[in-house]
Amino acid sequence: MMVKKAKEGDKDALVQLIMAKKQEYYKLAYIYMKNKEDALDAMEDMIVIIYEKIHQLKKEDAFYSWSKTILVNCCKRLLRRKNKIISLDLVKEEVHEGGFEQKDQEIILEKYLSQLNEKHQEAIRLRYFLDLDYQTIADIVKIPLGTVKSRISIGLKKLKESLEVKSHE
Amino acid sequence: MNEVEKILRKKKLEIDEIEVPEELETRLRAALKNRHSSKTIKGKWKIKVVAFLIAMMMIGYNVDTLAFYGKKLVGYDTLMSSNLKNLNELEKGQLIGKSYTFKNGEKITLDGIMLDDNQLLAFYTLQGLSENIDNVGSMSMEGIVGRHYMMGGQGEIDEKKKEVKWIMAFEPPYFFEKELRWTFTLTQGDKMEEGEIIFTLDRNKAMGHILKKEINKTIQVDESKIRFESILASPTTTVIKGTIQNIVELAKDQIIGERFRPDEIDIKLIANGKELLEQGSGMSTDMSGMKFDKEYEPLPTDLDKLQIQFVSFQADHDVHEKIKINKDEVNKSLKILGQNITINKVYEENGETYVTITTEESVLLSKVVLIIDGKKINLEETVLDEYDKRGDGRINHTRTLRFLGTGKDLQLDIHRIKYNKIYNQFIDIPMN
Repeated sequence: MMVKKAKEGDKDALVQLIMAKKQEYYKLAYIYMKNKEDALDAMEDMIVIIYEKIHQLKKEDAFYSWSKTILVNCCKRLLRRKNKIISLDLVKEEVHEGGFEQKDQEIILEKYLSQLNEKHQEAIRLRYFLDLDYQTIADIVKIPLGTVKSRISIGLKKLKESLEVKSHE
Repeated sequence: MNEVEKILRKKKLEIDEIEVPEELETRLRAALKNRHSSKTIKGKWKIKVVAFLIAMMMIGYNVDTLAFYGKKLVGYDTLMSSNLKNLNELEKGQLIGKSYTFKNGEKITLDGIMLDDNQLLAFYTLQGLSENIDNVGSMSMEGIVGRHYMMGGQGEIDEKKKEVKWIMAFEPPYFFEKELRWTFTLTQGDKMEEGEIIFTLDRNKAMGHILKKEINKTIQVDESKIRFESILASPTTTVIKGTIQNIVELAKDQIIGERFRPDEIDIKLIANGKELLEQGSGMSTDMSGMKFDKEYEPLPTDLDKLQIQFVSFQADHDVHEKIKINKDEVNKSLKILGQNITINKVYEENGETYVTITTEESVLLSKVVLIIDGKKINLEETVLDEYDKRGDGRINHTRTLRFLGTGKDLQLDIHRIKYNKIYNQFIDIPMN
C-alpha cells in the first residue's frame, strides 16, 4: 500500500517506507562508507533516485531489495568519486581523536580486508557484518547465488592467508 | 577459517551497535524537498547528469571528445587535452568502430583506442540514451591472461542529451596480447545487461614510451624511508612509482604496537623548471610492501631538465606520551615528535571533563585517552572545531576533547599522533 502511494509520488510514504527499515538501510550504507556523514549522503542520493525511478518498479514487493541495490550503487558511486578527490584536506578530520584498544585489531582487519578484490570484500562485509544470507546478497548486489558463495569463500581464504602470513612474521 | 570468522564476527558486534543518526529522517525529507517525480517533470535527471560529468571533468583525466575521421578521431575535441589532440593529429590512435546494442536500444561504439606503455585509452560513444547517462559502467579489457581494469576517465554529453562521449583509461595490456575483449554493463533500475566488443590491437599504432628510468633514490622520513623507483613517461601520461620501505616491519609493528602508517605523499614533477599537472595517484599495500604511484601530464618534447620535488609526507605515528594536566592550568605547551601542542584549558561540566587543545592544522591526536585517577577513559568525541589563520599563513586548529567522568588526578595519554611534515627535497633525473 505504502509502495503504491510512493509510486504515485507521495514523498511522505516513501520516507516512511525507508524509515520503517532504517537500521537495515543505514548499516548497509555504513559498511560501504565507514562513517556517518558519507552514509547519510549515500542515503540522500538513494532516496532521490528511488523517488525519480519508483514508477519503473514493476513488482511492488520487490521494493526493499530494489531500493537496497540502489543504495549499494549510490555508495559505490560516492566511493569512486571520493577516491578520486581524496587529498590532505579530507584526511584531516576524517579520523577523530580517540579510540579503543580493539581499534588496532580492527585496523589490521580493515587493512587486510581492503586488500582483497573489491567484490570479495563486498561479499564478506555483507555476509559477516550485516549477517545477510547468500540469497539476499545475491539480490542486492545482482549477482548469481553461486557467485556470492564463491566470492565469500575465496575472500575468506585470502583473508586467512594474509592474517596467517602476518602472524608468522 | 574459524579464526578469521571470529574476528569478522567481532567486528559485526560493533556494527550492530551503530545507531541510526537522529537526523536521518530530516535529511531524507530535505533531499526530497525540491524534487519532482520524473513522472511529472521530465528532464530533472539531466541536471544531475551534467553535474556528475562536470565533476568528472574536474577530477578525471585531462582529455578531450572522439570518433574517427579518416585516420583521426573526430568529435572528441572538447574532451581531449592539447596533448591528445596532437597525438590524434599525428594519427596515433587506432580506429576500431565496433558497436554493441543493448536490449533497450542504447548503443555503445568503441570509436578507437590509443595505446602506450602506461595506459590504453578507449574512446567510446553512447547513443540513444534512455534515462540515466552514466548507466553503462563496470568495464574491463580482457586479454588472454587476465583482466585490465579501468583506471578513470571523463565524458561529455551532447546538447540534445542523446549522446555521450567518453575517454576511459585502462591498464595497458601485456606486450604479447593481441586480441582484447572489452566488457561493460548497462544498469537500469534493477536490471543489468552485460555486453562486449572484441577487437584486435594494432601494435604498429602503440606508442611505447618516451622516457623510462630507474630512479632508485631514497629519502629518509621520520620513521621510514621513501624510495622513488622509476619514472615511465609515455606520450599520453607520466607515471612515477615508488615504495615506502620497511613495510614488512610496519605490518609486524602493527601487532606489537610501534606503528607508523603513511597517509599521503605530496610529490611534484618539474620539467624544465615548470610543474607538471598531477592527474592521479594511488597507494596500495601487499605483502611485498607499500607501493605508491603518481601520475602527471606528459613530458614536454623539448625536455632538458627533469626533477622530482618531494614536498611533504603525512603519517600516523605511535607515541607513548603521558601528560599531567590540571584544571587551573591554561595554555600549557608541549612538543611531540617535533609537533607543538597547546593545552588551552581543562574544565568540568555536567560530570564530564573537557580538554581544549590547539595544534597546527595537519596535526591530529589519532589515539588519545584521559587517565582520571588512574582509570583510563576513552575519548567520547571531539567538539567545537575552530580554524585560525596565523600571520605566517599557517592554520591553527583548536578543538575540545570530551571525556565522561571527572576526577582530581588527570593525565592525557597520547598513543598516536598524525601529522604532515614538509621536506621539499629535490631529486634530479638524469636525461641520458
